[in-house]
Amino acid sequence: MPTFKLDGKTIPFEPGESIIRAAEKAGMEIPHYCYHPGLSSPANCRMCLVEILPGANQRAMMLDIVEWDEKLGDYRPTRKPKLQPACQFPATDGQEVLADTSPHVLEARAGVQEFLLLNHPVDCPICDQAGECKLQDYWLEHQKTPKRMHDEPVHKPKAVSFGDTIVYDAERCVMCTRCIRFMEEVAKDPVLDMRERGNLKEVIVAPGRKLEGHYTFMTEHVCPVGALTTKDFRFKARVWFLKSAKTICQGCATGCNATFDYDPRTNKALRYRPRDNEAVNKFWMCDEGMLTYHEAVEGRVTEARVGGSKVKLERALDEAKKLFASVPRSSVAFVLSARHSQEDNVALFELAELFGSRAVYTSGAPSGYEDDILIHKDKNSNTTGLQQMAPEARSFSELLADVRASKVTHVIALGGATPTHDPEDATALGMLSGLLVIAAHTGPLATAAQVLLPACSWVETSGTYVNAQGTHQLADRALEPQGASEPAWRLVAKVATAIGVEPTWGTLKEVRSMLVATTSIPPAAPATASAE
Amino acid sequence: MEPIDLDLEEGELELPAEPMRLNMGPSHPAMHGTVRMVVELSGETIDKVDVQIGYLHRGFEKMCERGTWAQVFPYADRLNYVSPMLNNVGYALAVEKLCGIAVPDRCQWYRMALGELARISDHLTCTGAMAMELGAFTPFLWFVKARDMIWDILEEETGARLTHSFGRIGGMAAPPTPKFKEMCGFTLGKVLSIVEEGEKMLLKNRIFIDRLENVGVISQADAISLGWTGPCLRATGVDYDVRKAHPYLKYDEVDFDVPVGRRGDTMDRFLVRLAEIRQSMRIVEQVCARMPDEGPVSVDDPRVMLPPKEAVYSTIEATIQHFKLVMEGAKVPKGEVYSYTEGGNGELGFYLVSDGSGTPYRVRIRPPCFSIVSGVSQLISGGMLSDVVPVFGSVNMIGGECDH
Repeated sequence: MPTFKLDGKTIPFEPGESIIRAAEKAGMEIPHYCYHPGLSSPANCRMCLVEILPGANQRAMMLDIVEWDEKLGDYRPTRKPKLQPACQFPATDGQEVLADTSPHVLEARAGVQEFLLLNHPVDCPICDQAGECKLQDYWLEHQKTPKRMHDEPVHKPKAVSFGDTIVYDAERCVMCTRCIRFMEEVAKDPVLDMRERGNLKEVIVAPGRKLEGHYTFMTEHVCPVGALTTKDFRFKARVWFLKSAKTICQGCATGCNATFDYDPRTNKALRYRPRDNEAVNKFWMCDEGMLTYHEAVEGRVTEARVGGSKVKLERALDEAKKLFASVPRSSVAFVLSARHSQEDNVALFELAELFGSRAVYTSGAPSGYEDDILIHKDKNSNTTGLQQMAPEARSFSELLADVRASKVTHVIALGGATPTHDPEDATALGMLSGLLVIAAHTGPLATAAQVLLPACSWVETSGTYVNAQGTHQLADRALEPQGASEPAWRLVAKVATAIGVEPTWGTLKEVRSMLVATTSIPPAAPATASAE
Repeated sequence: MEPIDLDLEEGELELPAEPMRLNMGPSHPAMHGTVRMVVELSGETIDKVDVQIGYLHRGFEKMCERGTWAQVFPYADRLNYVSPMLNNVGYALAVEKLCGIAVPDRCQWYRMALGELARISDHLTCTGAMAMELGAFTPFLWFVKARDMIWDILEEETGARLTHSFGRIGGMAAPPTPKFKEMCGFTLGKVLSIVEEGEKMLLKNRIFIDRLENVGVISQADAISLGWTGPCLRATGVDYDVRKAHPYLKYDEVDFDVPVGRRGDTMDRFLVRLAEIRQSMRIVEQVCARMPDEGPVSVDDPRVMLPPKEAVYSTIEATIQHFKLVMEGAKVPKGEVYSYTEGGNGELGFYLVSDGSGTPYRVRIRPPCFSIVSGVSQLISGGMLSDVVPVFGSVNMIGGECDH
């Protein structure tokens, strides 16, 4: 692999790669605003300027400048090297690049940073970006000087609604054009552009349009400063109070890697951020997915219920014991859920095995919108996992047919959702003599359940999800379980005891070893850390 | 008249032979601080004493690990709460040593002056309280009056009489007030006359002298092996003073003596403190003569110093600086450091470990009291019960710094 030298450190690169990207991969950050690994490089912020030393037999490109001389009391002519933007300049073999070690680069960075803050409003106390803002970080790292301009800063529009999701503040904007490039290059909808020049420049939405579509949240995500904020997160929290956990989006079968931000003091879910994974979602997530963090608290089953009324878990398990006593084992069916983790499903699958039933079915949410960017038609996070675990499992419509034919009279099901919302389905489910549902979220199955047990959602317990590509991905635990909810695999063990089967698992570790045995695929390694 | 116990046998008159166990403290009017002593007595003679500390334990060191480096100053105030300024300066010097920051000259002089004023107030409190615990209430009131005069200066300078939180990483919270030198000159003379008057009253009193002389004696070797420092060590004749042995700030540029005792008894400890008050006054006088009236008291380093408040409200650069320093804290370079200064009771050391973040990874304190208190049972054993009061008063245990 060819290499170049950055501040004396040897860095390998793929041919054609920019200096900044190669350095980033090697763990050396060159400060930047406009550069984003997933977008084109316009080199307009000038923060990533580096000094490239001339090769052998080459002359350095020098610029004539004037410099203030304190002793002389006048400017005197001098020269400085022409700096190059590291985001656009391709790395070449044997090249020598100076960044932190070049006084010219340090001076350029301080100058760029000073210009960017020239008209910036005093907004940190009311800005959602404060605490994760590049302007703040880089001021302390690269500028460190107080304001020299005494004029009134230029005022520009504030709190401009760009659409149903995004608010724009032109005064905070550093005109990096990341949002514009994102809409054009990734979302394929060039709805954003700029107008005016210099310090009057601002980002605008195309006349007659709104910023809309399935990827508007990403414009906020790529914004290095607080110019774009989402209406969903605006003024909800200060980021330094939040904690983050690595998770997997549950919105569809793509399985985008996400960071789940929550407030540990109030156990509240606050937002998703995409987590870089070149193989799955690159750097992006869709709007629908970005909002699914709400499902950590909304539409949840948090109490055990018998016949619709809240009860203690013990009482619900007693009821389950009564329901399933003296039932012929051949008429009991087990329903796995594509909306629950591998761990939850393997526990139920194992119970079916121990119970001696071959009647295993699957359920999940109905299909929906798809595109060729990220969004998958299948709205379940773990469909592929179920296919790998129980290839012979039958579909939900077959279950309903078997219920109508009275082949199945009792059902133990995971997950509240069903693939169809036909009123006929509810009638069929109503024909069951016994329906026990273990679910994190409400849905037709949960509504029809005679005994309903509250399961933990994907952010309340660690779980593995297999996306449409067949990638096993791990989601970490973040929140404390809501209400009386428990991990579903543990509830399955309790149900097993109640219906007279001795469970073979008691801990998450045992469930995971069962998982390895069933699917003969190694469990997912912890998802890769974010690159940016 | 015949005695009524004439018919009693001799044997029945004997007192029980087992030693008596007695609790002094944790809250006792004659005890110098919140501490419990379990003494075993044979009559009035102390056979054994168990000094139990920890009644003022707040988990100071652990608390420091959850805030920023600058947020340790208020905790440092509450170590030796009789001379908080010395702790402030000690902690600031430790962090600055880790950061490689040298504060401006004016700040160094200012820190010395405030520190020596705090030392005077510390010694006035200790000697005054000791006299009071022995029944001499008047000198105590005089000394506290003198201490109040010192505190008036400190209040004028810092805004607080006791817990100043005035130190900053890289400087002080504010420059000296214009009247600082004048106040020092005016007050120190008055304090000195009060000290002299009190001395006359106490040191000509036969009871006072008898209760102090040859009581609670410790040898030089024992004091050193116990890790004693400060006035208690110097009372044994060892002239170890951090300000002379390892000068910091501008102590190597001022002229002062290190008073030492000869016998290492309670009287020597009392006299060393009184002599040190005079030496501290000498230092303050020299500082007042040499401290410049103009110039910065804090380093001009945006990584550690907060910007002026007016700028925070009106410019984005200062807002960012303020935000970074308050929310994330000044980043102290990765590493560890031991820094030590002469506190009121001896060598006050801070051992700091930084992981490079804005929050201390570890703050370990070496309070002078801790090792001194460990020698108390040796001082008292074999003495009389009434000796506990002067001996314990003279070691000047301060729960705030001892219990850590």
